Amino acid sequence: MAGAAGGGGGGCVTLRGSQFQDLLDAKHNVLFDCDGVIWNGETAVTGAPEVVSLLKQRGKRVFFVTNNCTRPRESYVQKFSRLGFTDVAEEEIFSSAYCSAAYLRDVARVQGKVYVIGCSGVVRELQDAGVHVVEDVGGDEPGTNISNCPLDPDVKAVLVGYDENFTFMKLAKACCYLRNSECLFLATDPDPWHPLRGGRITPGSGSLTAALETASSRKATVIGKPGRFMFECIASQFDLDPARSLMVGDRLETDILFGSNCGLSTMLTLTGVSTMEEAQKYKDSESPEHKGCVPDYVVESIADFLEALEE
Amino acid sequence: MAASNFKCTQLSGALTRQLLESVDSVLFDCDGVIWRGDQAIPGAPEVINTLKKRGKRVFFVTNNSTKTRKMYADKLGKLGFNATEEEVFGTAYCSAIYLKNVCKVEGKVYLIGSNAMRQELEKMGIQPLGVGPDPISGVPIDWANVPLDHEVQAVLVGFDEHFSYMKLNRALQYLCNPDCQFVGTNTDTRLPLEGGKSVPGTGCLLRAVETAAQRQAQVVGKPSNFMFDCVASQFGLNPERCLMIGDRLDTDIMLGSNCGLKTLLTLTGVSTVADAEANRKSDCPHRQRMVPDYYIDSIADILPALEA
Repeated sequence: MAGAAGGGGGGCVTLRGSQFQDLLDAKHNVLFDCDGVIWNGETAVTGAPEVVSLLKQRGKRVFFVTNNCTRPRESYVQKFSRLGFTDVAEEEIFSSAYCSAAYLRDVARVQGKVYVIGCSGVVRELQDAGVHVVEDVGGDEPGTNISNCPLDPDVKAVLVGYDENFTFMKLAKACCYLRNSECLFLATDPDPWHPLRGGRITPGSGSLTAALETASSRKATVIGKPGRFMFECIASQFDLDPARSLMVGDRLETDILFGSNCGLSTMLTLTGVSTMEEAQKYKDSESPEHKGCVPDYVVESIADFLEALEE
Repeated sequence: MAASNFKCTQLSGALTRQLLESVDSVLFDCDGVIWRGDQAIPGAPEVINTLKKRGKRVFFVTNNSTKTRKMYADKLGKLGFNATEEEVFGTAYCSAIYLKNVCKVEGKVYLIGSNAMRQELEKMGIQPLGVGPDPISGVPIDWANVPLDHEVQAVLVGFDEHFSYMKLNRALQYLCNPDCQFVGTNTDTRLPLEGGKSVPGTGCLLRAVETAAQRQAQVVGKPSNFMFDCVASQFGLNPERCLMIGDRLDTDIMLGSNCGLKTLLTLTGVSTVADAEANRKSDCPHRQRMVPDYYIDSIADILPALEA
């Protein structure tokens, strides 16, 4: 139960009283998703800043792992500060945009350019990592069509992420680059939609990736959760022991599955997307692929840690 | 005549005559079969025109949603085919029928598609919203809260060169209502253009919307039976006396198999004999439906049998 190493097929246990303390004793590293966990839009989850602060005071290492690629890390630091989280350093923030840049630079070691379908947050992270970007600013000039659109011969990879300026033209161009089987195909994250406040949603990177995969008949390498790369990215910088790490998230198919895939203990917080009923459904399911979506623990909010932390 | 225990036979000579005698109606796919872009396949007009002279009925069944029946008839005429509007069944037209008769839509539809689709819907008494460019402005919370027209009863997705994040967003907002129906014209991944090139097809746009909305669309185009049902119900066709001629195993030939038609693969387009053979040898029942009865290099090769 509390203190057990993670790795999927969890018990959906609602923690009470001293169980929080036991869990904290067993875990040295806490990885938090952001949207729906520590904040919702521009509002911090009540108690979240205190929890983060107290964890650090207790000597725990805290990381933030988000599929949200709309901001560069610098902008996340500002958001943390604005919402009352003190002492969150850039190094502790891992977004899918940052990790995509790290992948391109350190794993794929791309020589040449990357054609990006993505928002400014994505482009900025790539530029900060020294990756050479061919950015498609969009805007359909009259007379431009796919037949006469010039392709850059130096493009060695295509990266697709959330892009509010997505157009048919970008889809067609990316597809042309992907005809070359040597051209890498990456996606920042698989999220089909993003939650906003009030239960509203907007289309996510996953929907744009689906369009490009269909057009190119190729599958993208997806950087974000539930894929393992973001954990490997953190681990390469900070030497984490999965058995002593806890992943806290609000989306079963993303955060919890990510934690399971990486051998972490997992905790679902109910301040975001997924519900207890959904967790229970995965738990009751016969399908093996659903096991990884079952959290080890469930809390109403991460503020539930406060009592244990304040002792 | 077309025995089900031998398939994928090359069509020639006497076999061609026998096949033609065994059918009253011939259904042609368009792209890669009778034309490529804006050029007729050499000999194709003569074949169609002679079939008609010999008393066969001829229909054109295409997944391409960018033209109305009238636009197709005009293109056919320009390229030398004797054809009328009534003989053309494109997905712009068939989607309008589908929405009206199957989905029972009265009122409005949010349309990601072309002007051609808009026109076909309007002719059917359905009002489409959303055609044309849709530029984005504001911030995400604005997009999540775009004003929705409460009379919209369905979202229809076809080929749209103006496809954008904003259109994807609007479709998603409508589809968050489970009572809003969701229809796609076709799932083809490429769309052939005039001039010979191709671009990403409707299938890509439909996948984007399906993924965002986490819902599956009802698809009108081949290989769905609906396209054949449209022709058959208007013209009283007997499937056993129909021949489907196409260039794609996964749409044209599959449709033919599913509807009990005789099928002929022409090699002037997408699929190859090797593809067909691989399907024939496979254990998979799904792939078995993508094996044509016959194949031919080009439909022009039918002409000698017709003229005899």
